[in-house]
Amino acid sequence: MRGTLALFLTLYLLRALVAEVNSALSGFHVWLFAGGLFVVYAALAMPFRSGFAAAILGGLLCDCVDPVGFGTQAVLFGVAHSVVFNLRERMQREETPVRVAVALLVNLGLFLVITALRMRVVHLGAVLPRLLSDLFWSEAALLLAAPWFFALQSRTLELARANPSRMA
Amino acid sequence: MLGLAIAVWLVAPIALKTLARASFFEMTAPVVAASSYVNDLQKFWALRLHSKDELIEAGRDMARINSKYSLSVQQNGELQAEVERLQSLLKMPAIEGYRYEHARVAQRDFSAWWQRMVIRKGADYAIPVGAPVVYSGGVVGRVAEVHAYTSIVQLTTDPGLRIAAVVDGDTRPISYQGGDNQVFGAPKGLIEFVPLDVYASGSVPKRLATSGLGGVYPPGLTIGRIVHVESSADGLFKTGEVELDPRLSELTEVTVLVKEDSL
Repeated sequence: MRGTLALFLTLYLLRALVAEVNSALSGFHVWLFAGGLFVVYAALAMPFRSGFAAAILGGLLCDCVDPVGFGTQAVLFGVAHSVVFNLRERMQREETPVRVAVALLVNLGLFLVITALRMRVVHLGAVLPRLLSDLFWSEAALLLAAPWFFALQSRTLELARANPSRMA
Repeated sequence: MLGLAIAVWLVAPIALKTLARASFFEMTAPVVAASSYVNDLQKFWALRLHSKDELIEAGRDMARINSKYSLSVQQNGELQAEVERLQSLLKMPAIEGYRYEHARVAQRDFSAWWQRMVIRKGADYAIPVGAPVVYSGGVVGRVAEVHAYTSIVQLTTDPGLRIAAVVDGDTRPISYQGGDNQVFGAPKGLIEFVPLDVYASGSVPKRLATSGLGGVYPPGLTIGRIVHVESSADGLFKTGEVELDPRLSELTEVTVLVKEDSL
């Protein structure tokens, strides 16, 4: 419970920061998506229940602002969390580069799924260049921000005395 | 665990989902509002750095604009009286009146999937869902969601927004839809069902305005400039491209038009 709340706090901060950056970049028509960061640390470092709950809460945090059905991103983050959690023993999950690579892949997957879900509203031909551009900038920004964010999450868990290495 | 979570969510009543959504939104709203106030404070202190000469020049320019607008207000009053006189003579229904609610833009969210902004007024100022939002250049969009002290505006650049529009000087309605927002470029929209005798190009653009049909937007508000039209695949109508005002991406203040009967 404490671990979930500590992780949720970092996701709340991430949501606020991403929204501020997107607001600042709006004049350039550049938009960043950081869904991968909401999932990966919890899936790679936390026990299933607390990590899953944090991912779901992070998804709901995104859903409440975005014009998608409430719960859509929560379900997607939950699915992504479950997939990564089940694969985590096959990778060196303590290594930051591995975590960053997984975050990039999860971000790509979530971006494509949300794009597919928005197809009934968005005309793909008209927005494809913009989608590709958003995806490129999102992955680039995630590459830079992920190590910092994973360190922040790790430190927050330590402060909350919910360090995953002690809990596992 | 995942299956259980999805099952619980699927059978959860809509009232519970609505309450959960509102609760989560209000949880994020203080950060949005606080950062917006900090931005305003930052701009205030930046403006304090201007020299007195610059302020005097700005005041002089403002006085000129004010005198011009004062004249327009007088003319507008006369025209309004004329309209009311004709309405009573012809027994026409009164034109809808609006209350102008100015609001600061707290946050912008311009992705390829959606184009929205958060404004710093909501249920506390009786902002209704669906109210048109305008600025000096024309239409900004419509209020999509209203929360306790913030509202979300769906922009004219949003791919999901459609408006019944008319070409300047024409009364036949056409359909406008937002959508084409390229990186580092001006936002663009699409028009459909354009009559075959309408011509426009980049060198000879035509103004696109709201038609007033549908009851959301008052007639005559500028949406953008038609810069390209071509025959549609069926040959019955034309389709085209509308260039929108680049200022839409950098607005800091907008006006919500609240119908007076909805107060």
